Amino acid sequence: MKTTKACGSLLAGCLLVLALARVNAAENWVAYSASPTGSKVKIDGTSTLHAWTMESQLVSGKMEFEPGFKLDPSLKPGKVNARAQISMPVRQFKSTKDAMDQVMQQAMKEPQFPKIEYRLTELVLKEAPKMPEGPYPFDSKGELVIAGVTNKIAMPITLLRVSPTRVKVSGSTDLKMTDYGVTPPAPKLALGALKTGDDIKITFDWVANQRADAAKAP
Amino acid sequence: MKKNDGHQDLNRREFLSGSSLSTLMMLMGGVAIQAQDKPKEEETGATNYQTTGAPVKCGLIGCGAWGREIIKTLAVLPNAPVVAVCDTFAIGRDRAQKSAPNAAAHEDYRKVLDDKEVQAVIVATPSHLHREMVVAALQAGKHVYCEAPLAANHEDARAIAQAVQSAIKVHFQAGLQMRSDPQYLFRLQFIRSGALGKTVKARAQWQKKQSWRTYSAKEMNWRLQRATSPGLIGEIGVHQVDAAIAYINALPVAVTGFGGILRWTDDGRDVPDTVQSVLEFPGGVRLSYEATLASSFDADYEIYYGTDSTIMIRDNKAWMFKEVDAPLLGWEVYAQKDSFYKETGIALILDATKSTKAAAATGPDAAYMESPLRHALAAFVANCNSHAAAVNDFSDNFDISDTAALKEYLDTSINKVKTPHAGLREGYQATVAALKANEAILKGQKIVLQKEWFDLA
Repeated sequence: MKTTKACGSLLAGCLLVLALARVNAAENWVAYSASPTGSKVKIDGTSTLHAWTMESQLVSGKMEFEPGFKLDPSLKPGKVNARAQISMPVRQFKSTKDAMDQVMQQAMKEPQFPKIEYRLTELVLKEAPKMPEGPYPFDSKGELVIAGVTNKIAMPITLLRVSPTRVKVSGSTDLKMTDYGVTPPAPKLALGALKTGDDIKITFDWVANQRADAAKAP
Repeated sequence: MKKNDGHQDLNRREFLSGSSLSTLMMLMGGVAIQAQDKPKEEETGATNYQTTGAPVKCGLIGCGAWGREIIKTLAVLPNAPVVAVCDTFAIGRDRAQKSAPNAAAHEDYRKVLDDKEVQAVIVATPSHLHREMVVAALQAGKHVYCEAPLAANHEDARAIAQAVQSAIKVHFQAGLQMRSDPQYLFRLQFIRSGALGKTVKARAQWQKKQSWRTYSAKEMNWRLQRATSPGLIGEIGVHQVDAAIAYINALPVAVTGFGGILRWTDDGRDVPDTVQSVLEFPGGVRLSYEATLASSFDADYEIYYGTDSTIMIRDNKAWMFKEVDAPLLGWEVYAQKDSFYKETGIALILDATKSTKAAAATGPDAAYMESPLRHALAAFVANCNSHAAAVNDFSDNFDISDTAALKEYLDTSINKVKTPHAGLREGYQATVAALKANEAILKGQKIVLQKEWFDLA
């Protein structure tokens, strides 16, 4: 019984030490939060009439890197422990035409799923940048949630050190609306001549500022 | 232009004009258009979409003749319920309420502003009362549609401009309704594309045989006294001055004016009933403006003269009169034409073919059934919605107390893509130009307009 108790105490002690170590490590994660200005996400699409574009500049979220991470030439190619959660309100995507925006919002089931979300799960630096501030070329993997449907996506992205405490993450990816359960809008017209194409391209610049406080435990 | 048979003779212009939605989709991209065969509905997967935004609950402050026109127009919009009306004059208030029977009626505008249900107010009171009401409404967090002119004097206009610039969480729109009219936007694009050749001069007039007097109470006749009235060019001409600023694409640099009381000499007014003014624009282009309450001849119109063609706008319709040596544009060969004495005017009409079809069934004015005011108020409601959504979404994601960031976000995003309307800049600059022209008329002298008078900051 004594042995069991002693083992229990030892185990509890070890767990406590591990937990503390983990907290310490987590506190040292390098955290960035979205800047309220400077970001841009563009959706380019096609239709039977012409190409179309919608754009939003409201992109929130955070990105965190492993302790000691620095976006400078000391960063070696290979995997970087990082995580990110990015969020965009659907209704802030604007085409310059209110009626078109309303159509898109309905196609994307905006009332039910008001946000497009992205979660980064893997980040690999492909090669050293040509300039110390970047852009640093990465391969990324993550999950994209549109209209309530989650899909895994992989895309090349770049990180640029805009200032010692500010980064810009840029990239683009091709998607199909139907992969996310979105029926390409085909508004009824007098001549019935417009149908949007399934293929869209998302291009983004996400600007974030380094947070003074450390990130919380993952 | 009646079609001679049932054959679908689809040409490019007709295709473009076939639907406002197709046009807007087209405008989004700007890629070359080509006509398509009409697909069957089942092939397109065509779906119905609701393109009307959420309702914006409105309060009307000022139930005079124009205020009542506004409330009648709001009543036909699908998403602009009027929940409050306000006027110190009971007859006007009661008449307005007929168009919105469920609206609360108030004598004091502050009651409208205190009403949490009211999201937006339309200020259609006498111009000299705008300042107090607009500033208070903005401070109360209401979206504001302020009738033109924004104010009856420059100081009030500047105070309104400052209040609007501070109230970044709400949408502000000036009542220069033409700025929202698709016909105006079409003409603007046409003129800016150089269709006039070199613009050399402009002329505008507004003429009616009427006293401008209403009821007997003095405060109801604020237009007749200089202390409260911006005069004919300030009250009426502001719309035509605004159009000239837009079409000539410049602000006036000087104004000259003359005026007198020539018809209504015996009712105690001191505001001229007949005025003439010349507004000088950069490059020697001048707008000659005339207005009178003594003659109704030729009513109101605007004419822009260029070396290649002249464009006449009246009753929100427009015609182009080409010089014989002007380059051939192509489309004018097929366009609708109207005769004016010895001249032939080529009609400039957005959605011309559609309007021709409609005209066959409903008469020559079918294309103009939706008034500029309706377009302006519909734009106001759409813009209130998009502005409020942008502010709410910013608030949900970032620190809303970071006013500089919020302003930058709004200025670089939503404020750039609102439904066409007259914003503060357009409203303020037209107001300043018209007020200075009125001042020149009263003084009978030339006023050189300082550039900084038009600056918002």
